[in-house]
Amino acid sequence: MCLGIPAKIIELYETNGMKMAKVDFGGVVKEACMEYLPEAKIGDYTIIHVGFGLSILDEQEAMETLDLLKQIDALGDEIPGPA
Amino acid sequence: MKYIDEYRDADLTRKLLADIQKIITRPWNLMEVCGGQTHSIIRSGLDRMLPSRINLIHGPGCPVCVTPLELVDKAIALASLPDVIFTSYGDMLRVPGSSRDLFAVKAAGGDVRIVYSPLDALQIAKDNPDITVIFFAIGFETTAPANAMAILQARAQGLANFAVLVSHVTVPAAITALMDSPDVQVDGFLAAGHVCTVMGFWEYEPLAEKYRIPIVVTGFEPVDILHGILDCVRNWNLAGSRCITPMLARSRTTATSPPRPSSGKSSR
Repeated sequence: MCLGIPAKIIELYETNGMKMAKVDFGGVVKEACMEYLPEAKIGDYTIIHVGFGLSILDEQEAMETLDLLKQIDALGDEIPGPA
Repeated sequence: MKYIDEYRDADLTRKLLADIQKIITRPWNLMEVCGGQTHSIIRSGLDRMLPSRINLIHGPGCPVCVTPLELVDKAIALASLPDVIFTSYGDMLRVPGSSRDLFAVKAAGGDVRIVYSPLDALQIAKDNPDITVIFFAIGFETTAPANAMAILQARAQGLANFAVLVSHVTVPAAITALMDSPDVQVDGFLAAGHVCTVMGFWEYEPLAEKYRIPIVVTGFEPVDILHGILDCVRNWNLAGSRCITPMLARSRTTATSPPRPSSGKSSR
C-alpha cells in the first residue's frame, strides 16, 4: 500500500461529483480518483497512491533531471578516484 | 514504461555507484524513510552494490510496522463483531495483535475484506446499507488525502454505515523520535517523495538544522535513490553539516511553506 506508482491517464469522467480516471500502469488499467488534480488531462502521467492521483509528472523536469545526472557523471569521470 | 524505465537504467545506476565511490570520505549510516524505498533497494540489489562505507538503515516509514498494537487489537475486536464488514489494506492482515491477527478473524468467519483504496471500502458500504462497514485508515501523510476524501464522500452520499478506524502518523515526528534516541546513529535521511508531494518539505528544514544532518527527498527507483545518496554525500562534503535537497523534480512538488487555512473545497 505504501507505493506510489506512475500511470498514464487514458480516460477522465465524473462519478458522484468526483473527478475520476482510468489509468494505465503499463498495461494494467485501473480506476483512480483525480479530485486532488483538477488540472489533470488525458495523456498526463500521474503518481497513483491508494487509488488517488497525487501529482502530475512533468516531462521537461524528468528530462532535465536525467540530463543533470548524466552531466554529474561526465564531471565524475574527470575527477580522479582514490589511488 | 515512461518515467520508470529511465530510472532503472543499468548504465546510469553503475555510473552513479561509481560517482558515490569517488566522493565518499567517511562512513555513512543513511536511513531511507519509506518502505517503498527499501523495497526498491532490496529488489534492485543496491544494498549489495553500494560502497561498504554506506550502511543503509531501513526506516520507520512502513505504516504497517508503526501502527500501535492497541489499534491492531481494536481492529481485531471490531472485525470480530457480527454485522460488521471490516475493510483494510492487505498489508495489515498479517500484523499480529496481542493474541491473533486479522487473517485469523477472517478464517474464523469474520467478514474481513482487502481493499486497494478507501473508495473501495466506500463502495462496499454503498452495496451493503444494512451493515456497518469499517475502514482501517492507517498510514503516513500520503494516505491522509485519500481517507479524508472517503469520509467527505460518505457524508455527501449519506452513507451513515461507513466508519473509519484512524491510525495516522507523520514522518517528521518519527525522525525527531529517532534522532532524540541515544541508541540511534543516523548521519542522514532519504525522505520519501510522495510524502513531500502531499506535505511539501518545509517540515524537514528545521530538522536538518537542529540535528545537523542532510535530508534528501528522493523518488523510488534505483536511480532516484542513488541520486539521493550522491547528493547527501556531496552536499555534506561541500557544506560540512546540514543540507536539504528536494529531488523529485519530475513530480511537481512546490509546497515549501506550511499550508494556510483554506475555505476552498480541496487543495494540494
